[in-house]
Amino acid sequence: MSNALRALFEFLFKYRPLVFAKGELALGAPWPVLAIVVLGAAAIAPAVLSYRRSQGKTTPRDRMVLRALRVAALAVLVLCLARPILLLSEAVPRRNYVGLLLDDSRSMRIGDRGDRRRADFVRDSMLGDRGSVIASLRRRFQVRTFAFGGETHVLESSDTLAFAQRESRLTDAMEQARQSLDAVPLSALVVVSDGADNTRAPLADELVALRGKEIPVFTVGVGAERFGRDVEISRVDAAREVLAGSALAVDISVRQTGFRGATLPLLVEDERRVIAHGEVSFTRDGDAQQVRVGVPLTQPGLHVLTVRVAPQPHEQVAENNAQPLLVRVRGGREKILYVEGEPRYELRFVRAAVDADSNVQLVTLLRTADQKFLRLSVDDGNELAAGFPVSRAELFKYRAVVLGSVEASFFTRDQLQMLADFAAVRGGGVLFLGGRRAFGEGGYAGTPLADAMPVVIEGTALPDSLTFLADLRATLTPAGLSHSATQLGDAAAPAERWRALPAVTTVNRIRRLKPGAVTLVSGATPPDGRAGAPGETVRGYVQPILAYQRYGRGFTAALPIQDSWTWKMDASIAVDDRMFETFWRQLLRWISSESPGRVQAELAPDQVNKGRAVEVHAVVTDSNYQRLNDAPVVAHVEAPSGAVRDVPMEWVVDRDGEYRGAFTPDELGAHTVRVEAHAGTALRAADTVVVRVADLDDEFVGAEMRGDLLRRIADETGGRFYTPATVGRLADDIALTKRGVTVVNRLDLWDMPAVFLLLIGLLGAEWTYRKARRLA
Amino acid sequence: MRHGVGTGVRIALGLCLVAAGAQAQRGRGRPDFSQMLGDPNSYYTPPDFRGNEPYDGRFTFARIKYRGFAHFSREGPGWSHDYPRSESHLMRIMRDVTSIRPFIEDGPRMGGVIVALDSPELFKYPVSYLSEPGGWFPNEKEIAGFRDYLLKGGFIIVDDFGGMSDWANFTAQLQRALPKAQLVQLTGKEPIFDAFFKIDLNIIQRTYRGSPVYFGVYEDNDPRKRLILVANYNNDIGEYWEFSDQGFAPVPLSNEAYKIGVNYLVYALTH
Repeated sequence: MSNALRALFEFLFKYRPLVFAKGELALGAPWPVLAIVVLGAAAIAPAVLSYRRSQGKTTPRDRMVLRALRVAALAVLVLCLARPILLLSEAVPRRNYVGLLLDDSRSMRIGDRGDRRRADFVRDSMLGDRGSVIASLRRRFQVRTFAFGGETHVLESSDTLAFAQRESRLTDAMEQARQSLDAVPLSALVVVSDGADNTRAPLADELVALRGKEIPVFTVGVGAERFGRDVEISRVDAAREVLAGSALAVDISVRQTGFRGATLPLLVEDERRVIAHGEVSFTRDGDAQQVRVGVPLTQPGLHVLTVRVAPQPHEQVAENNAQPLLVRVRGGREKILYVEGEPRYELRFVRAAVDADSNVQLVTLLRTADQKFLRLSVDDGNELAAGFPVSRAELFKYRAVVLGSVEASFFTRDQLQMLADFAAVRGGGVLFLGGRRAFGEGGYAGTPLADAMPVVIEGTALPDSLTFLADLRATLTPAGLSHSATQLGDAAAPAERWRALPAVTTVNRIRRLKPGAVTLVSGATPPDGRAGAPGETVRGYVQPILAYQRYGRGFTAALPIQDSWTWKMDASIAVDDRMFETFWRQLLRWISSESPGRVQAELAPDQVNKGRAVEVHAVVTDSNYQRLNDAPVVAHVEAPSGAVRDVPMEWVVDRDGEYRGAFTPDELGAHTVRVEAHAGTALRAADTVVVRVADLDDEFVGAEMRGDLLRRIADETGGRFYTPATVGRLADDIALTKRGVTVVNRLDLWDMPAVFLLLIGLLGAEWTYRKARRLA
Repeated sequence: MRHGVGTGVRIALGLCLVAAGAQAQRGRGRPDFSQMLGDPNSYYTPPDFRGNEPYDGRFTFARIKYRGFAHFSREGPGWSHDYPRSESHLMRIMRDVTSIRPFIEDGPRMGGVIVALDSPELFKYPVSYLSEPGGWFPNEKEIAGFRDYLLKGGFIIVDDFGGMSDWANFTAQLQRALPKAQLVQLTGKEPIFDAFFKIDLNIIQRTYRGSPVYFGVYEDNDPRKRLILVANYNNDIGEYWEFSDQGFAPVPLSNEAYKIGVNYLVYALTH
């Protein structure tokens, strides 16, 4: 309701709408109601009868109108005689308490109230003796003031309010205030805030508690609900750990107001050095966009990346233009098993591409003839000595598996199931390559691996026969545009780079993806290309060149072409072109990097302010990657100073293989957490994760005043939401909450201006009607 | 022993190389009667050639052709000697003893394809075969193709040459393409001789006056890396492949020639 409408309402009806909402209607006349009814009937009856007797020039319609107007006027008078009143419970002045919670966080420094900061409102209205709002509250209530941010404390002096806390734990603050005022008659809690809430506990739980205690929360939202001009990095997502040399795919969410039609550059920095670029475009004002940037990471160790959009002219908040991202780059060597059914160029070039890669060990089992194998890049003479692994423990040692042109009948049924489980249970990546003995042509239809493949396989199982051939030219799909597997080093325009590659060929007829699978690189037969079985010509043939799908705990990918080496060898490719090597290195990193170890540890959150608790969460499995319950698990936490403490991890009894623990870091810097699972006294497996303790600027993410949250708190607890412009009646409204010590007031309604206006209106209408009809 | 050629031999080879280099670049490695046979800048077409099988991803034997008619015999110029029976026989052996399923024949086409060093088609076949390099006088474009082919990952088997003149011409052309390349004598202990069969180089296949000697060029001249070229000096294993069905040589020697061929190809496809 607008201010003018509210004032008009109050003029006509004497009281504010809230008074009517909170009060109860009653009749206050000293006489019985029956006497008033009889009196009214006595007054009305002569009027009705007089119109029946004297008809004069009037028509029946005139008499009906005049009679109705007269009766209505008399009814209003009789109602006034009955003395209608409003019974209203109000707090007894200064007998009740109000908990006043003031936001002391850094975001209150934002100057989005004209030329004034949010904090200025708190200082002017809520503090000291001159503050208008605090004064009105104190006239009616005992006020207990709390300051909240990361911590909540009773505010003894306004001088201690510095608006410097790095968090706003609003939910925690309400809970703490409610509990500390539990022993006094509490009328309401008043929250003065911009609505930022970094509490990890659910708000809904606290609202239920407040409703249960019937404590209304009155919220005062300070700040603009929508900035005039601001751009913000609102979220950054990426893998927390990658293999050295990987292109890390960083998903960046950017929000803005006032930048319609603008294209802004994005930077990813490592130690103030720009290591990746991107850009984001906005077509509409208020748009939020998500973009993906590939970030090359070569040096092992902990990297604190900063994703940044440069501050723009006349921007509201500059602190929300950057977000940190913690990434641990592994320097180890990932063992990937490559099984190939025949010596072929693809194998030779792929191996050459990763041969010098110190982070990938492509252990190769190559069938050179029937029952004759060549093992390459094995650790020792025992590795794969008996051919393809026959046990899960042996197979699951690898981080990923590449299946080349090798027919399904090469494997036993158990081995095929093991390969499917490699992705589904172990959580590894399985890559299927094209070839005459692969996919449908390799007889995989109906095997456990057919279910695991991201593509629907077609084609006749006639290994070594040419049942299909198509030339394919690659095109990067939108999903592939920023995928880590398709980043080609320094290629500034990856889509153009992929389009310019020479055509490759496939002998596997694949046209459909499984539901949920994603194509990263699509292939289409060029106008002068071939497609079809011998004697067949298929026009406009299209099939995926690189696609993947999640499969259980891991994922599977398909590269159903037989000669990606063309991207290295073709006459159109320059001798020093490294595209092919880059592609395969990224591809192998991608399929191996997400493979969990037997202990998979996570921290929540992985970046915290000092003094905040960190939860350690771990999944522990045995050598077959079956979840292991009730194992001795401990987290060794090493602080930057070198101090080490052990955090015991407890098995979460209702979750197989899951263990939890928590600790509170008390030093700034990176804390290394090594989670170890033991079998007796021997170490079974371990995983290492890192938490960064720093002064974070989370406060400035989503820094616009969150009116929706504050309204929800008020609505769900029976309070009201105010802005600085409407907060003047706060104390009066709280007084009507019926909480604490109250007294019932009787408010007369008969003397409302609206009643007199109604009476005058009715009489005036009768006179006007008579004049108009020439009856007077 | 990594460098099996004695110092004296290497010096002698080097001198010959320098002496022959200038002649070879002008195409005068030996008295050039071949110009009488036709345009030295044109390609000879073997009578059994029925066109190249279109590339389809299968392993296909690729024979390198060069211009002119040098080393001309009843089988044509040197590059075409033993075509197509040589590769046809080898591919059948490959199919029978290995898991490779190469192109063997398709109607009138048999054996493999014929490609020029300056043709983009060459790069569809990362393993290729050059016969009789003694008569090979490439122009700059072919030299560039040869260089790019090897640097990108190609592998060339050089066969059927012997004597100082052939050697001098071959090394001179190689130096033109890869000035820093070092030809290293192979001892028989290298992985290429154990890639599929265990090869004993002491089983002599004598087709030239001298004893066969096997040379190789390693990528970046680093013996820890792969061989990018092997050269059967004083040898002609293609001849054994070609005539293995006609009693040209004792069966054991033909077998050894096949074993060397199989090993070369398996090595090239795996290293």
